[in-house]
Amino acid sequence: MEQEIAALTERLAALEGGVAMSGTVNMEIFYWWCTALMIAIHAGFLAYEMGASRVKNVLASGIKNILAFAFMVPTFYFFGWYIYLAFYNGFIPAEDGAAGLPWAESMGPNLADNATGVFWAAFTLFAATTASIFSGAVIERIQQAAFIILAVLLGSVVWILGGAWGWHPTGWLTVKFGYHDVGAAGVVHMVAGFFALGVLINLGPRVGKFNADGSANVIMAHNVPFTITGLMLIIVGFFGFLGGCIIYMPGEQWINIYGQPATLSAFAFNTLMGFAGGIIGAWVKTRDPFWMMSGALIGIFAAASGLDVYYPPLAFLLGCFGGFVVPMVAVWLEKRGIDDAVGAFPVHGIGGLIGVVACGIFASGYPNVEGYPPVSLTGQLVGALTMALLGFIPGYVASLILKMMGLLRVPDHIQEKGLDVVKVPVKAYPENYIPGPVGTSEPTATPAE
Amino acid sequence: MNTAPIDTWEGAEAYFTFAHSPGMISLILIASVVVTFGAIVLAAVHEKHAYNNH
Repeated sequence: MEQEIAALTERLAALEGGVAMSGTVNMEIFYWWCTALMIAIHAGFLAYEMGASRVKNVLASGIKNILAFAFMVPTFYFFGWYIYLAFYNGFIPAEDGAAGLPWAESMGPNLADNATGVFWAAFTLFAATTASIFSGAVIERIQQAAFIILAVLLGSVVWILGGAWGWHPTGWLTVKFGYHDVGAAGVVHMVAGFFALGVLINLGPRVGKFNADGSANVIMAHNVPFTITGLMLIIVGFFGFLGGCIIYMPGEQWINIYGQPATLSAFAFNTLMGFAGGIIGAWVKTRDPFWMMSGALIGIFAAASGLDVYYPPLAFLLGCFGGFVVPMVAVWLEKRGIDDAVGAFPVHGIGGLIGVVACGIFASGYPNVEGYPPVSLTGQLVGALTMALLGFIPGYVASLILKMMGLLRVPDHIQEKGLDVVKVPVKAYPENYIPGPVGTSEPTATPAE
Repeated sequence: MNTAPIDTWEGAEAYFTFAHSPGMISLILIASVVVTFGAIVLAAVHEKHAYNNH
């Protein structure tokens, strides 16, 4: 009898171990595929930027975007992951952050740690997303080295510091203010959008964008269908991005990044409803397919902070609002002499701002865990201000330094000639089936009322 | 404005915003339906306008 009990106990222990390992491996698989899907974001941004460029700059824009991704990976390994783990209290690193140092045991193949590699990979892709957001804004006139420096600063330092503060179970914004931003509207999109704005002020517009009287010319994208397809590809990638924003707990309910219970179904409802609302809002406002697909992104960001809690028609209305309003911000920005080639600041900076503030208005009162404050409008406003400053100040200061060193802007005569012919050894369209360079002209379609 | 139908995660089920307020749910749902179909009406008006201009 005792022998049978011992045998059963052994079998039970083996079964429990098998179930636990199965859960651990499933967790790894989930984040593996989220990371793979997130690469579609970069494929999308690549198409989007190259399509938005003129023929003479297509490949230079593509090279810039690809290099942002490449440099993000090692730099996020060198110090990005450490910043996330160590700086959740502010600017003083915590001791437990040492697990993210590049010589730590968990920062390489380790049979006792199935989690670090896949989480590091997912966060690296978030970092590369911020760099891609910034990349589109500065096409056709930023020097390559300056771009890489700024992209690394944004992706492997600035946004991840925001992530440590407001997208971490014990980040100070959460612990002190109940900041809630599950879909990273603030920590990714606001930070990247405001960083881009800071750089754009120092970088200046593309040659030919503005006339002497300050009026703006439309610099046409050389391939609008490519740009729209790229934007749709970004949406595909965002399903990986948002999947990476929820924590898989083997054997238990999902939790969000703050440790509150959540479901992937909640994300599915509200991501799609925000997406659709953004398209409709932007379509009603502009009738422009470029803005419709940008509206899809805006709609997701407008609902992103409260993806886990919104009533889906509310996410739809937030998306509509964002999609309708943000194109007006792009016009406002242009009237102030700022050339944001793809609308990165309006789409990500303002779209993210809408998302963060909306969560304070429409999700106030949701309880936190560990006795931390509940979601509140005050907490969201503090978070929004923090993310705006955290993005803008480093972007402005670093680009100002690069400008003073003569490293920021491509000389005007090179811009006129085109970047591809000057520094790219191959041609985008060698048989010239797309005539170029493309000139500037006013759109002729009937605008929205 | 407290929109949360819960004050603890213990035992929470339908926890989405305004789940405890049928009036607000109705209002948001009606508004989203109006926006959806209103946009189609606006599309028809715009299209008519565009055709008349060309």
